[in-house]
Amino acid sequence: MTKPIIEVKNLAKSFGKNDVLKDITEQVNPGQVIVVIGPSGGGKSTFLRCLNLLETPTSGEVDFDGQNLTTLDTKKVNELREEMGMVFQGFNLFPNMTVLENIKLAPMKVKHLDDAAATKLAHELLTQVNLDDHADAFPSSLSGGQAQRVAIARALAMNPKVMLFDEPTSALDPEMVGEVLSVMQELANQGMTMVVVTHEMGFAKSVADKVWFMADGYIQENNTPEEFFSNPQTDRAKDFLSKILM
Amino acid sequence: MKKRVILFFALLLSLVTGMTAVTSTTAHAATDNSLTKVEKKGTLVMGTSPDYPPYEFQATVHGKSQVVGMDVAVGKKIAKDLGVKLVVKSMSFDSLLVALQTGKVDMVISGMNPTPARKKSVDFSHTYYQGGYSIVINKNDKGIYKDKDSFVGKTIGAQTGSTMYNESKKQTSGTTVKGMTSVSDLILALQSHKIQGVAMEKPSAQAYVANNKELAAIPSNFDLSASDTSASVAFAKGSTALVTKANKSVDQIKKQNLVNKTYLPEAGKYLKTNTVNTSMWHYWKAFLTGIKYTLIITVCSVFFGFILGVILALARMGGGGVLRTGLRWLATAYVEFIRGTPMMVQVMFVYFGLGLIVNLPALTSGIIAISLNSGAYVAEYIRGGINSVDSGQTEAARSLGMSGGATMRYVVLPQALKNIWPSLGNEFITLIKDSSIVSIIGVSELIFQSNIVRSDTYRGVAPIAVIMVLYFILTFTASRILNYFERRMQHD
Repeated sequence: MTKPIIEVKNLAKSFGKNDVLKDITEQVNPGQVIVVIGPSGGGKSTFLRCLNLLETPTSGEVDFDGQNLTTLDTKKVNELREEMGMVFQGFNLFPNMTVLENIKLAPMKVKHLDDAAATKLAHELLTQVNLDDHADAFPSSLSGGQAQRVAIARALAMNPKVMLFDEPTSALDPEMVGEVLSVMQELANQGMTMVVVTHEMGFAKSVADKVWFMADGYIQENNTPEEFFSNPQTDRAKDFLSKILM
Repeated sequence: MKKRVILFFALLLSLVTGMTAVTSTTAHAATDNSLTKVEKKGTLVMGTSPDYPPYEFQATVHGKSQVVGMDVAVGKKIAKDLGVKLVVKSMSFDSLLVALQTGKVDMVISGMNPTPARKKSVDFSHTYYQGGYSIVINKNDKGIYKDKDSFVGKTIGAQTGSTMYNESKKQTSGTTVKGMTSVSDLILALQSHKIQGVAMEKPSAQAYVANNKELAAIPSNFDLSASDTSASVAFAKGSTALVTKANKSVDQIKKQNLVNKTYLPEAGKYLKTNTVNTSMWHYWKAFLTGIKYTLIITVCSVFFGFILGVILALARMGGGGVLRTGLRWLATAYVEFIRGTPMMVQVMFVYFGLGLIVNLPALTSGIIAISLNSGAYVAEYIRGGINSVDSGQTEAARSLGMSGGATMRYVVLPQALKNIWPSLGNEFITLIKDSSIVSIIGVSELIFQSNIVRSDTYRGVAPIAVIMVLYFILTFTASRILNYFERRMQHD
């Protein structure tokens, strides 16, 4: 049996009186692509942000590679975050740096790569996302799809074991969704472990190993995409699917 | 909220009591080591306000601007008799006694009258000169004004803090008395008819009249006790040993009539050489010195102010944990306090107040005070700038494994800096202008230098016009440079 790379035990998170995550126990195995879907406000993004401790869980634990993140000191958490790349809905590229500098920053400041090595790495990653000709552009001159691909390259630069995607295509114009999804699909093909929060059902069907349906602070269903989409178990999931598959 | 206010006042109170405690301990130092102290360091520091010819004034001697006059001669004599070197320190007349009490200077010779009020706070030597008062008027008005009583419904000017000022107020009725810090300002006010007469000591009046053909002197006819027209050397309270020594020199000066026989004629010579060339070009070196110090003060203060501002801003944004909360409160109290008190008071507090603990030169004090002041303002800009950076930027950086510090330094601050650059630029330009405040503690920046040129040349307006243009050149150049960098930072 493979050892899970991420293990979540009884995770709960509340903001004030608002209980966003109630009791979540799940695990992610190496190489798995998990797609988290569910209605808005169901806690999907909060869940994802708890995995790399951008949000501190109220209770429960998050184990990464066998270590309980919630008990570690800040320095150790910083180190483990390197292993979990994250891609955001709003790209969050650094506007004051070129594309190349965006990618080079963390490898140089955190991993202390020298400039030449970081530049080489950045060009390789940009080639991988088909954007090497934009290396010297500033983020403001990129389209949404290009910006998100740069963001993916930036996260990959730390050579993570897991990639977390928080609605990576939700802020994009429809015609740009494809280019981002194809980059993500390629990553999945290369065997990257991924946890993706998305509304792209097509992506979930074709790429996911498991679909987690999340609503009301719980993971309501955990199933293969085939099973989930053809034969949802809970009323909550049926209701959700009937609305989006119209 | 209420708790917060109470805490703030408690902090303030402890600060004030702390300072008072320091002040009183120094004042009560009973042992008189005044003489040994001076002998030990080998210098006798004399404080004076060099805008009062022929007592003391700036003159260009061998191409260098220095303080000369009969008071300086008196100081030299005292120092020589003590076997030490005389150091002359210039500052405004108002600041002289404070400087004496706080140990910035060992003695004050500045045509100062030993009035009973002053005797309460300082010790005086015997008088070295017995003068009288005149009133300087415009020559055209010579027929109108006879003496102090002719100014009913008019305005007489006198140096603020001087005996003439107090006596003019007491001994005239129906006359407005206007106080100004420097005599050159008073003469300028007279010539521009803002005031009708200037009360000053007779030798000074004669000097001004001799150098300016449009002025005339009339007798004042003030009813004066001897102490009001005499000049003495002031020493810190309780320095009896030093006073006794100085009295020997003073007695000698009086006995040999040195003031009238030697000192005054010598001072007169400087006055003549001084007024040979009153063109502003002749004084370019003085203005250059002014620019140099103005820039030194501004650049240093901006630099240290910025560092302090970053620290304060970060402290103010901290939270969680007793230490960080405490730091936040402290930083908030500091910012509020600095923004709520005038910079001029802060400058004097640092120079004179901190001077009780450590003896800081005027320039250092000025830079410290302005940096402390600027830091409080910059902190607020930076806090706003940091808040203006989208939280997604921090999250992106943290998700890449960057520490909080690295995120702040490489991601947030550069963007915050760009956002607040215009405000920081304004602060820099404001500092160029506000640095003029340190002229009150005698730092030779532009304003101070212009005052020297004014008393040097007896020209009121020209030096002001010159520094106005110079200030504009400085601020305009600075704003061009800042704009250049602002453009370079625009990427989005």
